[in-house]
Order: sequence, then structure tokens, then C-alpha cells
Amino acid sequence: MPRSPRAEADRRRRWWPWLLLAPGLIWLIGLYVLPLLGLVPLSLSEPVSRFGLETVFRGRVGNYAEVLQAYGPILVRSFGFALIATALGLVLAYPLAFAIRFHGGRWKSLLVGLVVLPSLTSYLVRAIAFTSLLGDSGPVLNLVASLGLTGWLDGLGVLRDGRLLNTPTAVILGLTNNLLPFLVLPLVVAMERIDPRLLEVADDLHAGPLRSFTQVVWPLSLPGLGAGILLSLIPAAGDVVNPKFLGGPNDRMIANAIETLLLVQLQAPRAAALTLVLMALITLAVLLQLRGRGVDDLPLP
Amino acid sequence: MSMPVSPRGRRAFLRRLAGGAAGAVVLPSLLQACGRGPGGSATSGGGDRGGELVISSFPLYIDPGQPGAPGSVERFRKDTGINLRYVEDVNDVRQFFARIRPQLASGQPLAQDLVVLTSWMAERLIRLGWVEPLPLAEVPNARHLIPSLRNPSWDLQQRFSLPWQTGIAGIAYNIKATGRELRSIDDLFDPKLKGRVSALLEMRDTMGLLMLADGKDISMPTWEAAQPSFDRLEKARRDGQIRRFTGNDYQNDLLAGNLAACIGWSGDVAQLALEQPDLRFLVPESGGMLWADLMLMPKGARHRQEAAQWMNWVYEPVEAARIAAAVQYISPVQGVREILAKDPATAALARNPLMFPDAATRQRLHIFGPLDDQEEARWEERFAQITEG
Repeated sequence: MPRSPRAEADRRRRWWPWLLLAPGLIWLIGLYVLPLLGLVPLSLSEPVSRFGLETVFRGRVGNYAEVLQAYGPILVRSFGFALIATALGLVLAYPLAFAIRFHGGRWKSLLVGLVVLPSLTSYLVRAIAFTSLLGDSGPVLNLVASLGLTGWLDGLGVLRDGRLLNTPTAVILGLTNNLLPFLVLPLVVAMERIDPRLLEVADDLHAGPLRSFTQVVWPLSLPGLGAGILLSLIPAAGDVVNPKFLGGPNDRMIANAIETLLLVQLQAPRAAALTLVLMALITLAVLLQLRGRGVDDLPLP
Repeated sequence: MSMPVSPRGRRAFLRRLAGGAAGAVVLPSLLQACGRGPGGSATSGGGDRGGELVISSFPLYIDPGQPGAPGSVERFRKDTGINLRYVEDVNDVRQFFARIRPQLASGQPLAQDLVVLTSWMAERLIRLGWVEPLPLAEVPNARHLIPSLRNPSWDLQQRFSLPWQTGIAGIAYNIKATGRELRSIDDLFDPKLKGRVSALLEMRDTMGLLMLADGKDISMPTWEAAQPSFDRLEKARRDGQIRRFTGNDYQNDLLAGNLAACIGWSGDVAQLALEQPDLRFLVPESGGMLWADLMLMPKGARHRQEAAQWMNWVYEPVEAARIAAAVQYISPVQGVREILAKDPATAALARNPLMFPDAATRQRLHIFGPLDDQEEARWEERFAQITEG
């Protein structure tokens, strides 16, 4: 019996979304999910010899215990740095996004472009440029010294013996610089959804600027905040370049430890275990962030 | 012959960028290395590149070409008609090893016909059987090799390696920043220099100098003998005495004034001193480290003949003198000093004690002895824990 044209069309319609998804799915499964799953047996293995490639699966859960014991403090430090950098980024991003949204006028696109512009440079080059800015005789410390703030900032722990380069502060500044666009853009998008008349109403009702921010802008921009934190915290926690160039040996982050385990100590199973621990923690952070709402609530740029 | 002086800013930036690039490729290589399941095969980046002689070496380790004055690579191409690709992609010997390991371990040839690596790594590659004997019969100029480098401990029969350059690891310092002449390794631990000192990531150089300062024999290094030096280094890192552990990139910090003193390499400092006359290089009283970088032929190299021609060419004393004048390390080729002395533009180099150490200095130079696999793994783990926090 010939199928009706309608049923045929229905069938085709059902396949369309899958066809559209296929390239992305194949990419994701082939280049992300499968390699990641490959790490699981590797992380439970032992190398056969020091320089050979072979590993034997021994169900060696001890790899996890060992890396957690050896690198636990660095994991905590990595997330600590990422959190502080994100918080600092938010302090900068909120006024910036607010100004672009409500006072950008016809310059809005240009301003958004300017926020993104630094990202067009390699972040490696940016980190290297930062070493000149933050160096002992660089412009930043010169400014701090001319304002007479060196002693005060040293007391606060921002500077170490009057130095900025190769301190935790430098790493956090580098991270903040990298993640700023990822905070500003979702916030601008979220604030685009705020009707400007709400601010006028707040003004009419005698709310000061602070009150109108805390009661109107802040709650309505929360989805943007969530998206921004998601986009910035994750790459910051796994950053390798900033701690390498801007930090000292006491400011290494977890990706540096993975790098050394894999490329210097040639311990692929332990490197895999540490990578999976990091992935698990990041996944947990994402789940916490998305708790109670869908991805479609997030105004991703 | 005039000595090529490269613009420092660019040079320093390139070095740092090279270091950074090594860091930036970590994640892809991580996936590549870990994605391979047990017993899986490595991807091949090798293959014959159309009759091209491929050499990997450290960055800025040869005389660069300048307008009107072609560098060694270009002149070799012209002289021999050989299509040479000279790649400066060895920044960290250990990371380079991690890169070539998958192919060599699975018996596949590399793209490179020659690689320039440090002697301890050469020793490892020879032990693993991952390098070919060099076609030395076709390198008559190898007779110019200075006697002290013949039949060295890392290649007793001199079959697998030929030195590229050798040099000294010691203390580099800026006398204006330190305010005084330095004399010993202890000076690096002076609280007045807190946070303005760096040490090398090259474990044998840093640990060798510290152990010599402790009066230990490093020709036969032992784990027990190294412990006090490890402890001292670890404490200095924790206390913030040591600002960074570096590869070549200490140069930028030394020039920028971020470092007052550091463990560094003689040739670098000789070059930097042209630009910053306050820089000094010290072979400590307790002794300095003598190291050698060697040309090696990876297993399965396809262009033996061309590689032999290259080695023969760079061992021609005139060519070796050009390279020595640019890199300012200790040339392994006899006759270089005389050639440099003849030319007024390079005569000063012939008197440079870092390029041509006198007998008294030579007495104080030591070579780090061999570590077996197990020992080395233990040393590297401890050292990495110190350098990587």
C-alpha cells in the first residue's frame, strides 16, 4: 500500500533535527566524549616501563588517592584563584555592562566590540605583555610607588616584598583580564531584556541609584550573571598560561601540575587521574550553577 | 667576519614566546597522549618530507641570517644544494622527549634527521636504542673535535653523538642590583636578594651546583647525597627566596631588572652583557657545571648522507667560528679561537674566558654523572614537586 504523502513528510520532519545535529554530535562524540572515556581506564593503569608507551590496566584506584594527596592543595588554590578572578571580573563587568546597555546609545556595538577586541590577540601574547606591565620596574608598580601605596598593598598581601610579577595577585589579574569579555557579554545581553522604563519608574519612586541597582538591575540580570560565571570560572580554573608566566613556583595551578605529570614525569595514568578529578569538579560546578533552571534561561551571547 | 648582533628585544621576546608556545600546546598533547588506550598506536607526525633534511634544535642557537649576510642555514643550502629545514622547536629537553617518545617507542621514524639535545638525554636515547650510529666516516671534519670532548661518558665510543656546543651553568647576576660581587652559591640564598633570584628547571644544572656547594661528588650522584640540596631548594621556594624556575627565559627577567641573580648559562650571559654591561657570570668557588648539547640521529632517519654533510659543514672551523661568534658558547671545534682572534671584529671574543675557559676555570667545571632509570624518576619527581609547587 503506498504511504500517504503526509506520513512521508512527517517521517522526514522527524529526521531533520537529527541531521542538523549530526555534525556537532559526531564532533563531540569523536573528539571529546571518546577520548575522555579513554582516560578512565588509563587513570586506573600502571605504566609498564618508564619510557615505553604501554600501560597495563590494574584497576589501580590508588592513582586517585595519590594525586589527591599530592595535588589537593593545588586544586584548592586553582579554584580559589578562579573564584577571586571571577569576583574581581564581576566588579569590573557590572558597571561596564550597565554603561554599555543604558548609556551606550549609538556607540553600543562599538563598545561591545572594544570589550571583545583584546580577545582577538593570542592570550599567550597577552600574558607575556603583562610580564612587562607588572615587572619590578614596570608602569604598574611605578604608579603604585608614586601614589605611596607600596607599603599599604604589601601589608594587605597584594604585593610580596614590593613585587607584583610572580605573585598570586599577578595570576589573578591575568585571569581577570582573560575572562572579562565572558562576563560582560552575557550581562549586556541580560540587561538588554530589562525595560529601561523600569529604571524610570524606580527613579520616579525615589529609589536612589544604588537601590534601583539592587532592586531592579541586579535581580533582572541574574541569568546573565549565571551564564557569565559559567563561562569564566571553568576556563579560569584550568588555566595554564597565566600561572606559568605571571605566577611564581608557589602559585602554580592544576593544569601546570597535569602538564608536568604528563610531559616531565611521564606518568600518564596519574595525569589522567588528575584530569578526571578536575573534570569532575568542573562538572559539579556546572550542575550547581544550572540547578533549578534550564540552559535556555541563560542569556548566552 | 663580523659578529652578528641581533636586536635583543626581539630575541628575548622570541625566547619567551617559544617557551610559551611549549606551554600552549600542552592541552592538545595531553589529549593526544592520554587518548591513546593501553597498547594503542601513536599518530605519526613523521614521514619523508620530499628529500628535505630536517634538524630540530634549541631556539637562537645558530647565527641568524641578516639582510646581505646570510646565516649558516642559508649558506649551507647554497653551498650544498641540500634542502635544509632547520626548526627551533626544542625549548625544554624533557618536553621534547615527551613529544618524540610516541613515535620512537613504536618504532616509527621522526620527521627529523638530526636533533640537538643535552648529553643526559642523549645518554637516555642511546640506552633505549632510539638513535642511530652517526655516519662519522663521512664526516672527515669530525677530527677537529676538541680532545676533551672525545669519547665522553655519555657516548664512550663516540658512535652516536657529536657535540653542537658546550657551556657552563653558573651564577649570572647584575652587580648594580646585588650591590656587590657574588662569590658562591650561598649568595643566592642571601635574604637581601629575596624574591629576586631564579634557578633553572634543568635539574642537573641546578642540583649539580647546589650539591657542589655542599661539597658533594656529582660525578657519582646519589639520592642520599642530594637530600640536603633538595631540602635547601624546597625551603628557598617556600620562603619566596626563589622567584621562578626557568628555562632560557631568565634572560628577560635579568634584563628587565626582575632578577638580581640567577642560575644561568654562560653563552646567554655573554650575549646579554653586550647590552647590559652590569651583568656578570660567575663560576662559583665550589664549582660550575659543564654541559654539552649534542647532534643525534633518531632511529630510522632517512637522510643520513645529507646529515653527514651538515655535520661536516658545521665542523669546518671557519663555519664553526661564525656560529660560535653568534651564540658565544664553548665551541667543540678546534681552531675557532685562532680564527676569531684574527678578525678585529671578533678578537675580543677570542679572549672571552666563558668561550675559552682557562686551565684554572676548567679545573672547577664538573659534569653531572649518570642516574639510572629508577633513580632518575625519583629525582625528577622530587625536583618537580619543588619547582611546580
